[in-house]
Amino acid sequence: MNRNYIFLAIVMIMLAGGLLLLPERHNYQQIKPEKLMWDITQTSRFVTTDQVAKRIIEGDPTLELIDIRPVKDFEAFSLTNAISIPIDSLMSPNYQDYLGIEDMKVVFYGNDDIKADQAWVIAKRMGYNSIYVMEGGLNCWIKTIIRPVEPKESDPLEDFDLYQFRMGASAYFTGAKVEAPDATKTGVKVVRRKKGAAVAGGC
Amino acid sequence: MNTKSDKIQQPRYINPYFGGILLGLLLLATFFIAGRGLSATGAVKLSVTKVVETVAPAHAESNPYYSMFLPEDGGSIMFNWLVFGAIGTLFGGMLSGVIFGRMKKFRVEHSPKISARTRLIAAGAGGILFGVGSQFGRGCSSGAALSGTAAFSFGGLLVMALMFGVGYVFAYFFRKLWI
Amino acid sequence: MGPLIPQEIITGQWDFVIALLIGASFGFILEASGFSSSRNIAGVFYGYNFVVLRVFFTAMIVAMVGLMYFSYFGWIDINLVFVLPTYLNSMLLGGFIMGLGFVIGGFCPGTSYTAVAIGKIDGIFFAVGTFIGIFIFAEAFPLFENFYTANDLGPITIGEMFGVSNDIVAFVFTIIAIVAFYVTWLIEKRVRKNMTEYKFE
Repeated sequence: MNRNYIFLAIVMIMLAGGLLLLPERHNYQQIKPEKLMWDITQTSRFVTTDQVAKRIIEGDPTLELIDIRPVKDFEAFSLTNAISIPIDSLMSPNYQDYLGIEDMKVVFYGNDDIKADQAWVIAKRMGYNSIYVMEGGLNCWIKTIIRPVEPKESDPLEDFDLYQFRMGASAYFTGAKVEAPDATKTGVKVVRRKKGAAVAGGC
Repeated sequence: MNTKSDKIQQPRYINPYFGGILLGLLLLATFFIAGRGLSATGAVKLSVTKVVETVAPAHAESNPYYSMFLPEDGGSIMFNWLVFGAIGTLFGGMLSGVIFGRMKKFRVEHSPKISARTRLIAAGAGGILFGVGSQFGRGCSSGAALSGTAAFSFGGLLVMALMFGVGYVFAYFFRKLWI
Repeated sequence: MGPLIPQEIITGQWDFVIALLIGASFGFILEASGFSSSRNIAGVFYGYNFVVLRVFFTAMIVAMVGLMYFSYFGWIDINLVFVLPTYLNSMLLGGFIMGLGFVIGGFCPGTSYTAVAIGKIDGIFFAVGTFIGIFIFAEAFPLFENFYTANDLGPITIGEMFGVSNDIVAFVFTIIAIVAFYVTWLIEKRVRKNMTEYKFE
């Protein structure tokens, strides 16, 4: 048996064996820092509570709500079909299957949107796209969807439409009775307002 | 190793292990560059589709197999990675043949125990069988067995095991062809 | 960071130049190792020339181990590498038929091109045979279309099938290959004692 062959065989076995001994390495595809900074300064990652409510009511199959609060808070109250991933465990391999599913839009939410935004940055760094933050978090959810504020009479018509939508949503989520507001019966006092930014109706 | 037949001119081949290492590195490079392995029958499949499409386009479209390879946007079928790979294989083989002095006049290589005609019929039959089998197996020995298994495909492993296994089982019946 | 073409790092006409080069290297290596002779190839079934097994297995373990290392270092995204999908019934039949074709014809399509390149008429017959075979298959396809796509397990990897990590698969293959090299070396020595000519052009 040629010695060279034995040498080669040993080298090959060592290489292959080395594979088994390599420590676990999480290959997170890190995005470039400049891109991360750019994405952070964009506000397009925020979605309003109205948008989320609308999609839940319509049964949008691409909506994936992720609750980043502790599990106890999740069990006390959570949005319809939300998944619980506490922010500390966001990077754990167990939960990676929930992120990065093709065509799904992931929306992070917390009690407010600060922690949810942190979750967004973490997920963004891990290379996931199609991720969003619910603006204002659950606090805003309560204030806009569950207990919407009736607009003043001088407010523009859009606000009344929004209020009507929110009343309907509130009924949907809490099962309360809907009372249509009398706003439409006011006098014609159409005050032209500037068109708001794309992400309107926040807290 | 065994140099029993010093009198007979030993053909100049490279060490098979060395060839294997080179081939493995080439496979690795192919995966790195193109994300897929090599396949010889892919080119044949496309060529057959192209010929049928040129001769009888309606038939090509109605046949569920050909229609899988007809490009929707009217691009050329032959302008495909696999076809160029196969053409490259021809040239590569030619180059090696020239370098090692194996480019000779046209000849039929056969065991001295059978006639050239038998060998040609066997080659043709083998080719037909391989053509049919490769479509069932989604690739030939280079496409499914080699590249497939190298990419850890279970199907590739299956095809490879069967190909060699069946070959060994039936080798006894065809031994007259070879030894 | 690979693979390059699916991630559009190399695009356009370079695609086909690369295909040509890769094909040329493939053909060169095959021919230089002795695959242009059907009698060399058939030797694996009769024990007098195991070049097929040596080249095949070596290439496989080098590629497997290499892929795993590349993936570990992040040089290649293993999820973007094409894994041949498994169609159980169809592949079983295909492997069977190809095994027959292998032992009768003594070539496989890739090697038949190298044989054609150096002027072997039986190689040409084999290559033409593959065309005819594929044509027959396509024409008869409507008959067994269901069989063709039956039992689709998808692009399942060996590791997933047996519930182990692919690193272990690569390692096991390496061991099997080394053992096979040794065993076939012994067999070859034995068989060649009775033969005068076992390496053919």
